[in-house]
Amino acid sequence: MERITTDQAQAALDRATAARGRVAAEVGLPRGYWWGLAAGWVVLGALGDVGPSWLATTATVAFGVGHSVVATRLLDGRRRTAKLQVSAAVAGHRTAPIVVGMLLVLVALTVGIALALHADGARHVGTWSGLFVGAIVGFGGPEILRVLRARLGR
Amino acid sequence: MTVARFDDLIHPATRLSLVATLAAVDWAEFAYLKEGLGLSDSALSKQLTTLEDAGYVITERRLDGSRHKLRARLSDAGRDAFEGHVAALQEIVDGAGSSLQVAQSRRDDTSI
Repeated sequence: MERITTDQAQAALDRATAARGRVAAEVGLPRGYWWGLAAGWVVLGALGDVGPSWLATTATVAFGVGHSVVATRLLDGRRRTAKLQVSAAVAGHRTAPIVVGMLLVLVALTVGIALALHADGARHVGTWSGLFVGAIVGFGGPEILRVLRARLGR
Repeated sequence: MTVARFDDLIHPATRLSLVATLAAVDWAEFAYLKEGLGLSDSALSKQLTTLEDAGYVITERRLDGSRHKLRARLSDAGRDAFEGHVAALQEIVDGAGSSLQVAQSRRDDTSI
């Protein structure tokens, strides 16, 4: 009868851990979520510059409500792809607070950039700061979330 | 509490990776498993059939547009078997269970 050595058992455990790690890497939000968020960022920034205040306010509220609806479904991080659904145990419960925290930091960054541009005498500060942060969200959102989850999500 | 129990059916490398993957998901599509494990269609089908016959895996075909897609998930029995197997492997690594004890427990299982 075959006997299992310590090394063989360790190798088998490593295989199981690697498989779980591959699944854990699937936790996140769909690419479309990030581009939608980026587009909203740019539009709100531009409206703040060129639109009437009532329109900017209405758009901000609408964006907040829309994002809440989408986020309610997506923020557990288990629907990044349609090919699998990560178990709740593997996904953990920290994805949502990490995303919310990340968004708050990005809002603060947007305001900070706008204030800096304003102090420098630039025009359309909302548009430029929205474009800058929107680019960060659209191009780097998934990667930023992945890094934050790796550092904070355990 | 998980009872450590070595499982011959799960232990082979490919099957262990497959079961470990399914243990981490609610369900996974055939295409994801095939890509993630680097298996051919026939090889993955064979492994899934083996596990399904043992009652460890449940598969279902779902219509997605005009195409049927196969999904697989671990049954409760499969999850228990996987967790027991991992616990048995961990015991061996920790030195709590020697290779001889594992072999003995398997012999006991077959004599019941």
